[in-house]
Amino acid sequence: MSTTKQSQTMPAEVDGKMLSSWLISVAQERDRRAFANLFKWFSPKIIGFGRKQFNNPVMANELLQETMTNVWRKAHLYNVEKGAATTWIYTVMRNISFDMLRKIQSNQEDTISEEIWPIAEAQNSDDHMFADHLMDKQLAQYLNKLPENQKQVVHGVYFQELSQEQLSKQLNIPLGTVKSRLRLALTKLKQHIGADYD
Amino acid sequence: MIKHHPKLELLESYVAGELPASVSVMIAAHLEMCPKCKQQITELTVKVADNCFDKDAFAFDESEIQFDFDAFIDDVTEDTSIDELVEPEPQEVKVADTPYCLPQVLCNLERSSWMNLGKLSRSRIELEDGDLRMSLLHIDAEGSVPNHTHNGFEITLLVDGSFEDEMGTYSRGDFIWLDGKNTHTPFTKEGCLCLTVSSDSLHFTQGLSKLLNPIGKFIY
Repeated sequence: MSTTKQSQTMPAEVDGKMLSSWLISVAQERDRRAFANLFKWFSPKIIGFGRKQFNNPVMANELLQETMTNVWRKAHLYNVEKGAATTWIYTVMRNISFDMLRKIQSNQEDTISEEIWPIAEAQNSDDHMFADHLMDKQLAQYLNKLPENQKQVVHGVYFQELSQEQLSKQLNIPLGTVKSRLRLALTKLKQHIGADYD
Repeated sequence: MIKHHPKLELLESYVAGELPASVSVMIAAHLEMCPKCKQQITELTVKVADNCFDKDAFAFDESEIQFDFDAFIDDVTEDTSIDELVEPEPQEVKVADTPYCLPQVLCNLERSSWMNLGKLSRSRIELEDGDLRMSLLHIDAEGSVPNHTHNGFEITLLVDGSFEDEMGTYSRGDFIWLDGKNTHTPFTKEGCLCLTVSSDSLHFTQGLSKLLNPIGKFIY
């Protein structure tokens, strides 16, 4: 399949939404046509930026290649909730340009830009905490929807950290009942979560 | 609470990738501690990116591009593996028997071993950056640096603890930019760990402490 053909399918009017959807297709489906579209849209802009930055067309091409290679390989780190595809690709390009300039100016071969601007900020611990927090909230809602007797068991085991034996004594029900209620409750919770997270 | 932040122009230059590496590292370390500046960076990045990719931003004659797009796209997409994200391990340092957690931005940078002088300890961050030198500077409790000014400029980021000088009290996360116009005598009651970048040695100004000017070089 010729990529020239692929890129010619690009619509005339490209908006931010479309750019984001292409980037997501690259991340999730390793979609070559989406990548070709991104390439077509961004390449003149990146080359233009590079020529100004380095005053050298060869280096501008190098910036383009490095940037787009990183876009292909790191697209999974893009988080659409955090912002536009243009913003994310700008940061990828800015980082490469920074390292290239540093190489010219200080003869340093490092890639310090990755430290200075953690590209995966979208994925860092703050975010996991945020996601976990949301998840907790949702779980609590589902938990509340369970029948009272199942709720009791889940609370006992997961929040008060009682053993199933202790719980059976405390609630004065047979151990087998504790086990079956817990199993029912967890199955229901999993269904709820699965429905939203699949 | 953080009272001292990098100036707006500095944040803008950081986003544009125009600052020296060591100054950028200082800003990154400040951002780890300062949600306010971090938010500002997010907004600035959107703005800078929009300007940059505006269709007329860097207009030139596209027909003169010499580049085989199709071959390149084929090459790149042939390899469908991805770059896995490596989360840096948090790093602790122990100075004067006190453990400190270092900013994440320093995690992959080499550091020299500690050099001690009285209550001062210094470890150089190995980051080649022209005239700029970056160090971790620890001042032990009840320690001070004699009254001095700066031959060039000096940026201090307070990583932990607190100190005070003639101009005020500084706490964790404060980002302080001083130059030849400023003279000060930092003193710390509880001890503090700072990340510093200076462009030249310190210059001690008063009486006998002028004899300390070699220390100025030590700190720089």
